[in-house]
Amino acid sequence: MTAGRVQEPEREIIFMKKYIQTSGEIGDFSTLPVWQKYAIADLVYVAYGLLIVALVVVSYVAGMFAWLPYDPQQINMDAMMAPPLSEGYLLGSDFMGRDILSRLIMGIQAYFLPGLLAVSISLSGGVVLGILSGYRGGRVETIITYFTNLVDSFPRLVLILLVVAAFKPDIYYIMVVMGITGIPTVATAIANKIRFLAQKNFIEAAIALGLRTRVIIVKHILWYNCRALLIIHATIGMGEAILLETSLSYLGFGVQEPVSSWGNMVQSGANYFLQGNFWPSTAPALAIMFTILGFNLLGDGLNNILEDRREK
Amino acid sequence: MTQPLLKIENLQTYFYARSKHSFVRAVDGVSLEVGQRETVGVVGESGSGKSITAMSIMGLIGAGPGVISGSIHFAGTRVRQNLLDGLDKYVRITEKNNRVMAVSKDESGWQKHSEKLMKNLRGKEIAMIFQNPRASLNPYITVGEQITEAVRLHTENKSVKEARERAIYWLEQVKIDSPRLRFNAYPSDMSGGMCQRAMIAMALSSEPALLIADEPTTGLDATIQSKIVGLLEELKYETGISTLLISHDISVISRLADRVAVMYGGAVVEYGPAKSVLGMGQPTKHPYTAALLASVPSEQKIRDKANLQTIEGDVLDTINVPAGCRFYARCNRVTPEIREKCATLHPGLKEVSPGHQMRCWLHCS
Amino acid sequence: MSRTILEVKQLSKYFHRNRGIFSALNRRSDAIPAVDNVSFYLRENETMGLVGESGCGKTTVGRTILRLTRPTSGSIIFDGRDITRLSDSELRPLRKDMQFIFQDLDAGLNPKMRVQDILREAVSVFERLSDAEAAVKSRMLLDQVNLKYSKLSSYPSELSGGEKRRVGIARVLAVGAKMIVADEPTSALDVSIQAQVVNLLRDLQKQLGLSYLFISHDLQVVELMSHKVAVMYLGRIVEMGLTERIAGAARHPYTYILWSSLVDKHNLEAVQTGKVDRRAAWGVFDFERPASGCRFAPRCPVYERRGRPAECTDPANEPQLRDVGGGHQVACHFPLGS
Repeated sequence: MTAGRVQEPEREIIFMKKYIQTSGEIGDFSTLPVWQKYAIADLVYVAYGLLIVALVVVSYVAGMFAWLPYDPQQINMDAMMAPPLSEGYLLGSDFMGRDILSRLIMGIQAYFLPGLLAVSISLSGGVVLGILSGYRGGRVETIITYFTNLVDSFPRLVLILLVVAAFKPDIYYIMVVMGITGIPTVATAIANKIRFLAQKNFIEAAIALGLRTRVIIVKHILWYNCRALLIIHATIGMGEAILLETSLSYLGFGVQEPVSSWGNMVQSGANYFLQGNFWPSTAPALAIMFTILGFNLLGDGLNNILEDRREK
Repeated sequence: MTQPLLKIENLQTYFYARSKHSFVRAVDGVSLEVGQRETVGVVGESGSGKSITAMSIMGLIGAGPGVISGSIHFAGTRVRQNLLDGLDKYVRITEKNNRVMAVSKDESGWQKHSEKLMKNLRGKEIAMIFQNPRASLNPYITVGEQITEAVRLHTENKSVKEARERAIYWLEQVKIDSPRLRFNAYPSDMSGGMCQRAMIAMALSSEPALLIADEPTTGLDATIQSKIVGLLEELKYETGISTLLISHDISVISRLADRVAVMYGGAVVEYGPAKSVLGMGQPTKHPYTAALLASVPSEQKIRDKANLQTIEGDVLDTINVPAGCRFYARCNRVTPEIREKCATLHPGLKEVSPGHQMRCWLHCS
Repeated sequence: MSRTILEVKQLSKYFHRNRGIFSALNRRSDAIPAVDNVSFYLRENETMGLVGESGCGKTTVGRTILRLTRPTSGSIIFDGRDITRLSDSELRPLRKDMQFIFQDLDAGLNPKMRVQDILREAVSVFERLSDAEAAVKSRMLLDQVNLKYSKLSSYPSELSGGEKRRVGIARVLAVGAKMIVADEPTSALDVSIQAQVVNLLRDLQKQLGLSYLFISHDLQVVELMSHKVAVMYLGRIVEMGLTERIAGAARHPYTYILWSSLVDKHNLEAVQTGKVDRRAAWGVFDFERPASGCRFAPRCPVYERRGRPAECTDPANEPQLRDVGGGHQVACHFPLGS
């Protein structure tokens, strides 16, 4: 390059974006340390997401060995509405004097298994329908499209309220409904992915080689091409499960007292919010926000790391 | 001799290949001239940098970490300027061991400055036709309207009526049958060859000083290719427009170009009058040009069902540009005497006969 | 004389537009014939070239023969066995013998698998191999297609076009195919690499006794590769015969125009000395009109010169392939040179 440019540019340019050449024949990517291999943002996303997941583990371990400051359901009339950082109550206590920190830690369990249930229902249903629709095509595809449109056009909350009315307000029933209503999104995404692969002769090439359908679907379609998609749907699904439970708890249909869930904590705490006792509702609200954010970022980061590289 | 219309000097265009984490030296020190009423052909394989040269002229390198240096002097009747004037302020390059290690770039500043430089030129003084005509036309506007728009934007014909007449005139010029009928056709109603004709009409309708044709026949069917080549040939003699013709197809270049530049690995390896570069009888040839010409199946080969002559190895990737001759690794003409030179020294462009330059130690040591 | 490995009889493939809930009602009106009544045969160790412009249905013929799509009518007999109506699971074992090379260089090369994994998968489709055996076989395949072993650990995105094509061919050889349908195997490649691939395909044919159905629009490559050639126009074979006859003594006006546009464009020497036979009378219009009767009539110079005879556009009298001697067949009412 011309030498003039390297020496003293006319003015200091601040918004310079820097691109680096890596070593090796074609910029050998595998020799790079992890923080240079992937975008920093992605790594931060994943790290944060994993932190949230770690908290789930902490909650179960703590709950199992009763390593909590207090029993989350223990009522203490002497310490009602203790403010945060008061003696013995790190995050304060609620209107019945129950320790908020303990309730928060146990509250996570209200979501985790039900959320997993919902996610696994929508993923497995979505995978089956998506593959049938994308891979088989034809009449099957038409039927599945109509089915998914039907499910999609039904307001989810109404459906849940119907189930609650017909059976009982149980979080597992709610999550089953949520899982089923999540199927169309996953199915459409997978079917579209398969159609995209078919367009690039990818599937045809596998069939022409003589691979078994099972191998094509499981190995080539699901494992190599849909794993990132499934991960992102799983993490978003977990976030959604939390959000749904919160809104239902607000209506009184979620996890029932005295078992703690973040949703019913926000709901019961909200009554005292305007009296100046903000903490019983704010603490779980923040927990909800950061957890949903964590799941979404985890999915996003993993998606970027798994998908973007090597492809272009 | 009059000043050439376009004079490219030591053009260098680098890219950052994200997937490979490396800089691609797509164009590396290219100098070219296009004179008035002249057609210059650029021939080369993929990765030789021929299309990037065209894009550099059009100022289309802005996006991402592409950088350009060198100069492109354009000397039309209305505009004279260096198309790369002052762009280097926005980039800083760190080099080590003849290898680009890092590039810092003020992207928005670069983009703005480039737009300013090209504002009066792109589409008006310099027009371009692309490889995929259907993708370059707006599918929702009739072909006629698109040409009319170009006419109104770039020429003195400002009234719609005048511009329409002009558009029809150009459709006639590119030999589209019943142009008044085709005026109202959408690109999807026309065949690939027709779309290419419409593209050519649109490019010419702004009456540019320079036409850049980037692979104008690639992707078209054989019968249509030869028609488009015929059309370009006629237009060349009728309008006398200066053209930079880029193609990988030697036969297209040899039919249309007055002068030819053969590119390999980002550099011009041979440059001169079409007859002496591509002519069969010429004794001094760059080994790459000779091999390219020989790899096209000749009638004799087909008759004998003989194996084709090949160029061993692969097209040079311009990430790791060797220190010596770029073609050295694939060259079959290296003799023991010059081997060391070929491997370590990059040959300069030397004149082998009047107007005919070459980068090869074999012919100009 | 060698055995016939593939016989195609009156093969047709129609595509339907407007798939939807009402497709059953208007199916007939929307059928588009991509391939219409095509018949030919291919002998062992022989190459048949299939040429024509884009959209003439040549790729569809190839895909239908390998049953990647279901034919609308007609029959395909591979190695003495009618495979027209076989189910997917019945077809699978046959895929060992018949393979397809896709025009797309990336087809079959999973971007997330290394070359060694791609080849290992291919060699173990039909037989159970240990890792060591598969590795040995993969190396053998690389030798066959002249690729360095060092490429085994590369990802497809790190390969050049020519290397990708070679891996694609190795993948097809891995299963031990006898017949290969090659769909434009050179069109995505550079000139200098094209020649390498053409030579490679020819060498492999000599070594392994392969049969090719070679689909291409590059007439020179087809001429070089093929023993016989079929020319397709809008879904039909209009002329078929030995390569020399088709290239040198074409009887159908379309074939003649195809090859003369080649001479027009490619004969460098003639171009430079100005000795080009312009064949001005052979103007081809680059648009297509739907026609009844002979499909080529709207573009046909013979039709024009003969004063537009009625039989050419008679819907009931579409020209059929007929023998004009020496296995040379042509579908034209007024073949050239008669």
